[in-house]
Amino acid sequence: MKLFSTYNKFNLLATVLIFVLASAAYYFLLRFVLIDQLDESLKIEQEEIESFVQKYRQLPEVIPVKDQAIQFVTTSTSQKDSFATLVAYDKVEKDTVEFRQLSFTVKPDGSTWYLATVAKSMEGTENLIQSIIVITICTIVLILFASFIINRLLLKRLWQPFYETLQLLTDFKVGNKGAVKLPVSKIEEFSLMNNIVQEAISRADQDYLLLKEFTENASHEMQTPLAIIRSKLDLLIQEENLTPGQGENVQALYEAIDKLSKLNKSLLLLTKIENNQFNDVSTISLSDKLHEKLHQFQEIIAGKNITIVKHIKPVTILMNDDLADILLNNLISNSLKHNFYGGSIYVDLTGKRELTISNTSHGNELSKERLFTRFYKEGDPRESTGLGLSILKQICIVSGCTIKYDHTAEIHSFTVQW
Amino acid sequence: MKVLVIEDELEISKSVCKYLQNEQFICETAFTFDEAVEKISLYEYACILLDIGLPDGSGLNLLAQLKKENKSDGVLIISAKNSLDDKVAGLKAGADDYLAKPFHLSELGARVTAIIRRKSFDGKNEIRVDNLALDLNNKSASADEKIIDLTRKEYDLLLYFISNKNRVISKNAIAEHLWGDNMDLADNYDFIYTHIKNLRKKLIQAGCKDYIRSVYGLGYKFERPF
Repeated sequence: MKLFSTYNKFNLLATVLIFVLASAAYYFLLRFVLIDQLDESLKIEQEEIESFVQKYRQLPEVIPVKDQAIQFVTTSTSQKDSFATLVAYDKVEKDTVEFRQLSFTVKPDGSTWYLATVAKSMEGTENLIQSIIVITICTIVLILFASFIINRLLLKRLWQPFYETLQLLTDFKVGNKGAVKLPVSKIEEFSLMNNIVQEAISRADQDYLLLKEFTENASHEMQTPLAIIRSKLDLLIQEENLTPGQGENVQALYEAIDKLSKLNKSLLLLTKIENNQFNDVSTISLSDKLHEKLHQFQEIIAGKNITIVKHIKPVTILMNDDLADILLNNLISNSLKHNFYGGSIYVDLTGKRELTISNTSHGNELSKERLFTRFYKEGDPRESTGLGLSILKQICIVSGCTIKYDHTAEIHSFTVQW
Repeated sequence: MKVLVIEDELEISKSVCKYLQNEQFICETAFTFDEAVEKISLYEYACILLDIGLPDGSGLNLLAQLKKENKSDGVLIISAKNSLDDKVAGLKAGADDYLAKPFHLSELGARVTAIIRRKSFDGKNEIRVDNLALDLNNKSASADEKIIDLTRKEYDLLLYFISNKNRVISKNAIAEHLWGDNMDLADNYDFIYTHIKNLRKKLIQAGCKDYIRSVYGLGYKFERPF
């Protein structure tokens, strides 16, 4: 529910309630004032009758007047003046009507008491309540209508800066070049929000840059000691008098250095892909590249006595050339690495905007959830950096492809779709 | 022939010099930008090994200076930044080749000899070892003018060996040279063994000496047999 709808719900409810209460109060107040006025006019009537009685020593003649009735009945005693509201049948109006009535006693001839009643119709007040109800309903409808219009027109414009900021934030990607420019707003809340958002964005960007710089620097700083160790080993094996045991140790050192160096390079590569540093795309022939890669690996394919079953149709893809290279390299070398002697590799690029590379392997099914996470290793971890699949995944993300893994009866397959 | 190693890291500089120094090469070193500028302007070098990240200036500026002075020294950039941008910038600025740290000394040796060869023989691209000849343009090898039928990888391997004559090349360096560093197949040393065995067989069958021998089980050496 939108903020304004929620606010409106309570606001309108309160407004309607207050209106109803105010109308009721208004009605009662007006009724009170009108009755008071009726009473005044009844009193004037009484005074007229009393002065007539005093002057002429007899009761006045009763003339029927609309909305007014005067009656005299004999009574035994004198009574106090009293007001009353009655409901009676009005012959003129042919309807039951409320009357305000004043009763008092007069003694015109000095011996008999007469009870005089003067009544006036209260039809005016009834009309009043009707008008008030109509006015109240009309006002409520008008308020609802006005708030609807305000919501549609004014609020949309008022909230415009908020939605603009929201859109900019949706499009915002940390590390993306070009500063985010938030709209300037005269509204204090929005301008405050924009300032805070702007600050947060700059801070995130700054932190990201620092982190990126740190990762790059750390990796680069590691290259120099690695280069020293490796060069010293290269010199060490030039010596003529190493024992076989020392030779073995040196070999182990070589392998450890190789692994460290590969790890370092993979991490740097991953960082670069994540940083979108491979952003120049071109139309490349995936089929040609695939043939070329398979050719590159031919000695290893032959060495492992692996059969390549390939169905390749000419396919082009819009992608960064280096990334396409790494993608195919990783896919093929994985399918070779985890294969067994005399196994097979199935390459399928038959033009459905997808490439599948499958291989035979004795390995168990890989965990689909964790497969593409960094440093995920299954089976023999010694030779793997655990980064190859993360690199694949990252390449797919920045190139707008998807990659999925399937496993059926000793066949592991990776499918890239774009 | 003189080679200049411009590298601020003393131990790397020492290793490189020790590896390159032989009857053919004299190695000189420079550890700072200023020192390098001085040496470059005073002497001619067959090849300059240039570290881009010097503490007091960028190696790329040195390259620019070389170009300005119209020097024809071959330049091999060695950089800790294994980034494509650096490579492109370096080659654009007139470097002959680019090598990222951490490198194998044998790879460095091969690159340096390749640069010197290109600079000094002006197109006449042939290497001879006794009766064995390598045609660098056609990428073919022949013994007594008869072509030896080598695969592309075997040819690369032979050239790599000859460029590092009399030095032990580790199996890791060979693997990296032949398949690049993205190739981490668990048992690629077996392939190297197979490749070398085939290469030796082909050379001997063609009437060459048995130049390649295994050292300590961790590498191979190309030398004239005793």
